[in-house]
Amino acid sequence: MSQPTSSALRALALEYKSLQEEPVEGFRVKLVNEDNMFEWEVAIFGPPDTLYQGGYFKAHMKFPPDYPYSPPSIRFMTKVWHPNVYENGDLCISILHPPVDDPQSGELPCERWNPTQNVRTILLSVISLLNEPNTYSPANVDASVMYRRWRDSKGRDKEYENIIRKQAQAAKVEAEKEGIVVPVTLEDYCIKTRARPAEQQFDMTDFCDDEYELDDDDDDDEPLSASDYEDGDDSGNGES
Amino acid sequence: MGDRTVQAKSTENTDVNQDELILQQQRRIEKEIQETISLVGEKESLKALESEYTEDDIYLSKARALAQKYSFFRRTRPDGNCFFRAFSYAYLEKLINNKDEYEKFRELARKSKENLVELGFPQFTVEDFHDTFMEVIDKVGGDTDNSYIELHKLFNDQGYSDYVVVYLRLITSGHLQREAEFYQHFIEGDRTVKEFCHQEVEPMYKESDHIHIIAMSTALNTGVRVRYMDRGAGTEVTAHDFPEGSTPSIHLLYRPGHYDILYP
Repeated sequence: MSQPTSSALRALALEYKSLQEEPVEGFRVKLVNEDNMFEWEVAIFGPPDTLYQGGYFKAHMKFPPDYPYSPPSIRFMTKVWHPNVYENGDLCISILHPPVDDPQSGELPCERWNPTQNVRTILLSVISLLNEPNTYSPANVDASVMYRRWRDSKGRDKEYENIIRKQAQAAKVEAEKEGIVVPVTLEDYCIKTRARPAEQQFDMTDFCDDEYELDDDDDDDEPLSASDYEDGDDSGNGES
Repeated sequence: MGDRTVQAKSTENTDVNQDELILQQQRRIEKEIQETISLVGEKESLKALESEYTEDDIYLSKARALAQKYSFFRRTRPDGNCFFRAFSYAYLEKLINNKDEYEKFRELARKSKENLVELGFPQFTVEDFHDTFMEVIDKVGGDTDNSYIELHKLFNDQGYSDYVVVYLRLITSGHLQREAEFYQHFIEGDRTVKEFCHQEVEPMYKESDHIHIIAMSTALNTGVRVRYMDRGAGTEVTAHDFPEGSTPSIHLLYRPGHYDILYP
């Protein structure tokens, strides 16, 4: 399937339109190039009351020709120091893993791509992953070690926190140059959201990754906030 | 686990992603198949099946045995979705001249969306798949000669055809999850039913096993008889009815790894 299928164009156009008409809190989307539906630029706002507060993180989403049967990929264009983001910005998150048999992951209980996943569900997962890295399969080992130190010391070891806050700050300055005001309070962050779709309680097991052993707590949908970092490896609904 | 972490890292860090290579090769094979075999073919005489096996005594005798019981078959494209595609084509074809069952099925299909949204599937996308599924059902309704032509056309239009497959996969997953307690016994390994659905039912191109067939036929309240044609002993083509004890309203031919449609 090297030619884009009509389904791919149709699904992408539908999603794009819906995200323009009804933006979802925490991110904005646009096309990298107006005549190519298969590459989107997404801007994620750092959620208030997290280390990422005030940050403005740009990423490119690339969709395969047979979307939505196969998942897109995401690469951060803004520098992001995070256990699940590679040096080059590529994001590693299980929801975007293609549904092929993966000898590395075996039969582990991870959320995988299926055709009902979409840009909304992916980006909400990404926002959750920012707050709750998966340290079992780190893409950036140094960041992972540092994050664990920060978490295990209950925030007393500030190295991780300082890097993130610095990056968020730098990203904010960039955003301001572009004339974008990054929301820093919950009210502002949520203000543009009209009629939230009824799909918010989706399964957040997707940031469990290859090596992630998770107790099957799909029903655990207690919202996590920054104060929940102590047990940050639990799977839960990370929206804040 | 330590070892596995290292392995995982080493493959992910090389320039060429192994997953990507496998996918690329898979895509090449898919493309070849796509160019040579239609999603759903024309009705063929079972003689055509015999002629595939002139050099193979076991299969030849089974093809002949099958020809005693069935007159025609219809091939589907081997793309991992063949069970769902064959099942839905055969079933809709059957419903064209059975108004009562058609209406019952239409009602069941109409209500199915709510169940899926309740189970946590994203409404936005489920709705899209559901709308297309209903559109296909509506277009083949009416019991005219045109219905058969329309069915064949829709099932060979990749956009419609694959959306039908996706939606049937969702219905199957939904049924499995609702009856998880029962289906848990059929699942090998440590996986929960939900995990099994995420990995083996919902993704496109994933092949179907007995559990998919039982769940699909039960969810749609439709009996299916599968004829197994393989290297096993004997000259007969074993029949299995799903769900067990039901009266089959459609018939499928199974050859290792693939399903086609059979007509008595």
